[in-house]
Amino acid sequence: MTEAVPAAAQPVRRAIGALRRLPEFLTIWIPLLLSAGHLVSFALWTIWVSFTPSTLVPVSGWVGLRNYTAVLATRNWQIAFDNLLVFGSGFVLLSLSTGLLLAILLDQRIRGENVLRSIFLYPLAVSFVVTGTVWSWLLNPGIGIQKLVNGLGWTSFRFDWLIDGDLAIWTIVIAAVWQSSGFAMALFLAGLRSVDADLVKAAQIDGAGPLRMYRRVILPTLWPITVTVIVIQLQFAITTFDLVRALTGGGPGIATQLPALVVYDFMFQRGLLARGAAAAVLMLLILLAVLLPYAAWRYFQRRQSAHA
Amino acid sequence: MLAGAAGLLTAPGVARAQAMKPRLTVISQWSAGSDGAAITALGKKFEEKGGMWQHSPVPGFTTEMMNKLRAQIMAGDPPACSQLKGPEIAAWSKIAATVNLDGLVAAAGYEKVVAPDLARLHKPGGKWISLPLQIYSTNMLFLSKRAMDKAKADKIPVTWTEFNALAEQMKAGGVAYPIANGGTRPDDGQKFEAALAGISPAAYRTAIMNLDEKALKGPEVKAAFAQVRRIADWMDPNTAAQHYSINLRRFVAGDMGMMIQGGWAQGVLLNAGFKLDDFIIAPGPSDNTKPVFLLNADAFIFWQRKEPDLQAGQTLMAQLVMDPAIQTMYSQITGSIPVRTDVDLSGAGWSDGQRRTAAALKEAVDTNQAVLSLAHNMAQENGITAAMIDVLTEYVKNKSITPDQAVARLSSAVEGAR
Repeated sequence: MTEAVPAAAQPVRRAIGALRRLPEFLTIWIPLLLSAGHLVSFALWTIWVSFTPSTLVPVSGWVGLRNYTAVLATRNWQIAFDNLLVFGSGFVLLSLSTGLLLAILLDQRIRGENVLRSIFLYPLAVSFVVTGTVWSWLLNPGIGIQKLVNGLGWTSFRFDWLIDGDLAIWTIVIAAVWQSSGFAMALFLAGLRSVDADLVKAAQIDGAGPLRMYRRVILPTLWPITVTVIVIQLQFAITTFDLVRALTGGGPGIATQLPALVVYDFMFQRGLLARGAAAAVLMLLILLAVLLPYAAWRYFQRRQSAHA
Repeated sequence: MLAGAAGLLTAPGVARAQAMKPRLTVISQWSAGSDGAAITALGKKFEEKGGMWQHSPVPGFTTEMMNKLRAQIMAGDPPACSQLKGPEIAAWSKIAATVNLDGLVAAAGYEKVVAPDLARLHKPGGKWISLPLQIYSTNMLFLSKRAMDKAKADKIPVTWTEFNALAEQMKAGGVAYPIANGGTRPDDGQKFEAALAGISPAAYRTAIMNLDEKALKGPEVKAAFAQVRRIADWMDPNTAAQHYSINLRRFVAGDMGMMIQGGWAQGVLLNAGFKLDDFIIAPGPSDNTKPVFLLNADAFIFWQRKEPDLQAGQTLMAQLVMDPAIQTMYSQITGSIPVRTDVDLSGAGWSDGQRRTAAALKEAVDTNQAVLSLAHNMAQENGITAAMIDVLTEYVKNKSITPDQAVARLSSAVEGAR
């Protein structure tokens, strides 16, 4: 009889435990399911629309790959894709190296580190539209940096990338690097601070100078962070929209088109929903090309550490 | 029988509807400047007639207003009335029910006083569902008085040859940039349409309005691209993607000489505090010396609503839009000319430029030289227009593209967008 009491109480206790965990269950799973459902359902809907003959509003019907071939054949998309390669690689490499350099400099136990860190991180708090607008004035040769330098006496100075179709894409790289190298810096700084002190000491005892120490000991420990930063920056690069809208408007001419602008342009400016959807799906494929290898790498890494 | 049944159904509601205040929900892109002032004045008139005016402006390009319209239509809640124009009226009338305005138009005798090309755009399928409100020409030539003084010139150029000569004269006289411009897509498109229509209105009609492949690759189109290159060389390259209105001060000051812009620039200039003596307005260059009129007309389309107060509001709005006094009031604020061809523009409140524009329209209609603007979405639906403007804007900005290449790109862009 005495044993029966805990046996009967067990389900009750379990129920109370579940009840206690209910709030966290609700706060995590419901938003997660809702947002996943939201994301997946709209992605599926966009994929469906990309195979229909929709124009002003979505309609049903099947046109096969016609929207895709049409989008791929437009000059807009071709320019946007080339720009994505230039912008993506230029932006990621530059923001990565700027961020790393800032992080290493800040890591020298300097005075006023907090102030400097805030300053470098601050651009992240500014919206891309503001960044784009400010840089569009700064980079405008008639009123910005070029005018200033010319006014100071160096009259042959030229900095007119904004109006040069071949170089205009680099103005977007400049603005984007300004905006987000602080983010890379913050992640790298955290990485630098978590390097095993024993490792550093051991290297010091072995007589490694600062340059050698960074190259051989500290930086190699940072590579998981580097991969994370690259992936985050790349997915930002692929979806960039507002920065370009505010900075160049896709111009001069159509020289600084990016895929997201093409999607918006087709869907909302031209009233060609299905073509816009096809362009959006192409963007998704580019994103997957970045994210899937990353996911595979993470999976592989976790398995390795589990085995070790 | 259907009408009878509808009558029976609404009969008890009539008394209530009469007591009801006519109400109108409107969306348009006109929020600020002379456009905003004009539609606010129209709203005041609507309220004076006992109506309730609910205007939700969506600032920016027309396409942004369209996005709101699309969202409302898809939600089953279209505005009672919205701005819409050109071939988009026919396209959009397929996705939602519109109001048949034939009765109101007939009662006002409106059809007789609207240019036939324009009327056609507003009655797709033969029924009036939208009403044009005001007309602009997109190829008006604005001359800065101070730049003319610098060039020691006083003759308004009529042909492109004279125009080019004047630009050179201005340049020699110390005008930094003989052409004032912005860097937006419509700006670039306008330069091309003004060039082609001025070289040959007939070629413009076949190539741009009818998209005839042979005409698109014809010598006139190539000549137009060559003229656009000359214009581009006289522009300030630093305008990037700026709006043309940013340069108005430099234009008036004589730092920039000429502007090929829509008639609306008059309203914008006056609204910015400049005087009519600061500039001259004339029809855009035309090689056959007779005025060419690139038509751009703003219009309202009326969407079907069940609510009796909204329906009463639509009737009141339609009557107001067709009223010559209202059109006079509206055009005097914005700088456009009235849609009605029977409005007298001799009185005070009209500028010489507007009188010249109205006279040009009359003459252009008579000589079949009134054509529909491409850059302002009157000639083609947005999809084809945007594909063509891509080529035009790239050509204006990238000086390494030759006229021959541009001709080939324009026709292949049309091919791709169809």
